[in-house]
Amino acid sequence: MEELSLNETPVRTSKNFLINDIKLEEINFPNKLQAFKGIDISCNSTKINFSSKVSHANLTYGLGETFTKEVNNNANKNLKIEIDSKTRTETQVIFKFDSENLNLIDNIEIIANKDTKATIILKYVSKEEIKAFHNGIIRVYAKKRADIKVILINLLSQASNNFISIENVLEENSKVNFTTVDFGGKNSITNYYSNLSENNSDNRLNTIYLGKDNQLFDLNYIAELYGEKSKVNIEVQGALKDIAKKHFKGTIDFRKGCKKSKGNENEFCVLLSDKAKSLGLPMLLCSEEDVEGNHSSAAGKVGQKELFYIMSRGFDLKDALKLMVKAKFNNILKEIKKDELREEIINEIENRLD
Amino acid sequence: MSTTNINEINRNIYDIKNKDEYEFKIKKGLTPEIIKEISKQKNDPEWMKEFRLKALEVYNKLEMPTWGPDLSELDMEEIATYVRPKTNLNNSWEDVPEDIKDTFDKLGIPEAERTSLAGVGAQYDSEVVYHSMKKELIQQGVIYTDMETAIKEYPKLVQDHFMKCVPVYDHKFVALHGAVWSGGSFVYVPKGVKVDIPLQSYFRLNSPEAGQFEHTLIIVEEGASLHFIEGCSAPKYNKINLHAGCVELYVKDKAYLRYSTIENWSKNMLNLNTKKAIVGKNAKMDWVSGSFGSKISMLYPMSILNGKGAKTEFTGISFAGEGQNLDNGFKVIHNAPETSSVVNAKSISKNGGKCTYRSLVRIAENAKNSKSSVSCESLMLDNSSISDTIPTNDIRTDEVEFSHEAKIGKISDKAIFYLMSRGLSEEDAIAMIVRGFAHPIAKELPVEYAVEMNNLINLEL
Repeated sequence: MEELSLNETPVRTSKNFLINDIKLEEINFPNKLQAFKGIDISCNSTKINFSSKVSHANLTYGLGETFTKEVNNNANKNLKIEIDSKTRTETQVIFKFDSENLNLIDNIEIIANKDTKATIILKYVSKEEIKAFHNGIIRVYAKKRADIKVILINLLSQASNNFISIENVLEENSKVNFTTVDFGGKNSITNYYSNLSENNSDNRLNTIYLGKDNQLFDLNYIAELYGEKSKVNIEVQGALKDIAKKHFKGTIDFRKGCKKSKGNENEFCVLLSDKAKSLGLPMLLCSEEDVEGNHSSAAGKVGQKELFYIMSRGFDLKDALKLMVKAKFNNILKEIKKDELREEIINEIENRLD
Repeated sequence: MSTTNINEINRNIYDIKNKDEYEFKIKKGLTPEIIKEISKQKNDPEWMKEFRLKALEVYNKLEMPTWGPDLSELDMEEIATYVRPKTNLNNSWEDVPEDIKDTFDKLGIPEAERTSLAGVGAQYDSEVVYHSMKKELIQQGVIYTDMETAIKEYPKLVQDHFMKCVPVYDHKFVALHGAVWSGGSFVYVPKGVKVDIPLQSYFRLNSPEAGQFEHTLIIVEEGASLHFIEGCSAPKYNKINLHAGCVELYVKDKAYLRYSTIENWSKNMLNLNTKKAIVGKNAKMDWVSGSFGSKISMLYPMSILNGKGAKTEFTGISFAGEGQNLDNGFKVIHNAPETSSVVNAKSISKNGGKCTYRSLVRIAENAKNSKSSVSCESLMLDNSSISDTIPTNDIRTDEVEFSHEAKIGKISDKAIFYLMSRGLSEEDAIAMIVRGFAHPIAKELPVEYAVEMNNLINLEL
């Protein structure tokens, strides 16, 4: 298969900087997909409706036309989750990949009606020995005053390919709080777009990623602010060991009219190996005067003084490093209120840092 | 709160237009015949003629940038790439034709030479018309001359360095420069020599529908130091002018070079300039850059830190007014251990102007124990302007400290309120805040340029 170019930034910079898009070889879209049966859905409310009647996805950005088209034409799982007005709920959907459920192309549409307060957990998990393929679209529509939290967890095997396009549309006074835990896949490529078209909407995106061996993470996060007093906060914490590589592309785009809006993005990458690579492009685009935009970005190894302190308390180097990485991730892990799930992720961090 | 009003820069001095008189003007366009004719007119050695023709081939092969400002209005068929003024190189201002001398007088160049410079070069259109340097520096072995003289008198030194730091295939406009370059300055500071007083070259483009492609080549030998100042301006015409100069700086081990620029081209100018420095072991390269003019500017000076312990610092400000799109920034490659870079960039945009900060910090695999700190701040003075920050960081090893921070926004209402509560008028408060914003850059500029910058930030009270 020829080289595929994907996950383009909304604004290009010099091609010599090697970050406008990525090119991947050996991405074979599976043919003749069978229905994906490894799905567990649990929910604590009757006021949440599950169906397969998703709408055609017309994404503003997405990973690329090929990926969107695949989802629209060949999805083997369509899932619409509609939460009734004024409902409080927690829902968990687990996609379990195994030798009989190797390939998933899913189209997920989440509609949080007015005044809902909901948490949706989407977890993709596989056994280590399989080579899974996932290409998905997740669309979230937060209606007026809806407050929705989405926790997206990628625990696929390291031989897998994971492609996700996310699109959020936020109405007036709504909140979308997205937490992503991105650990799996040889290639894990995410496109995230939020449209804050109405006033007083609030979008938070918290990500932790952890790369080892030759894993590649390409994260392209875009938020466009149109409504007044909108807020965007992007927080990305990651660690890379071995020859793992990460591209972080973050764009906060203040459009004309988004007066009194605020946007922050903060990215920190801990490098645990002298062969790991961290590439970042944290962009602020601004066509509106009356806004506050900030970004900060940093990379480096863990603090030597802190490491020394922890080791002086009896930890060996590996455990001290684990402790420090977990501490870096802790603020984001706190967003996951479900103890069992949080513990599972912490264990996964331990395993991957071994 | 009313909107801040800041005067456009008073361009009366810069907009002085002399009659478009010249000894020779090449016909518009870009063909091998035109390149051969330029080479003939400049009496190039054979190697330079061949170099120009090869650069043209590269130019024709390379694509236009697929990013940044729209350059579609640039039509090389409408640009004359070589204009020789009606005078030769002079060592005395008295020998420079009256109208040209008058222009440089008004720009304050001869006066600056008398009061605060160790040497001056002045280029008018495509050729240097005046060059001079203090005797003491000549006695110390410092060379400061125009590029054409350098090619004839120091052929090996030039050939060993010319377009080696900035190869013609870097990008399309470097290739163009390689094909049509003319004028510029050559500076050589011998080992251990400290040039305490700055040298300055000033580039003036008078001819309409023309380009200026000066080449600056500076070699600061081991343990030597230099402060070099570059100024440039042009009067405004209705049609596009092009500036695609090239600056190559070699800062050898333990040497120091400060390169200060105030770019004040007219608003019909496309400024597609390239500047690069190669910095040796324990050497330091400082850039101070003010970008005020041009219709479009794409300018990203670059330091390649090739020697262990090499350092670089970039301090820059851009001011984009009506109709301007200034896409500026800085690039640094950490290519050796224990290198460090500090970047402090600011921009102000008003009246629909667009400022973009675009940058690259790359810390290579071998650059252990390197540090890089980048800070950029953007101030928008009205609601019709645009300000973008597009920084790339590429970290390829773990033994580094890298940080980048950026802020974007308007003048804080709280700050204005505070100053007004201390008895300042609203206008004075805004003026103080804007001057304070630009101060970290202004204090790094030579005095006369700091004054020029303060004129720029002259508020309507």
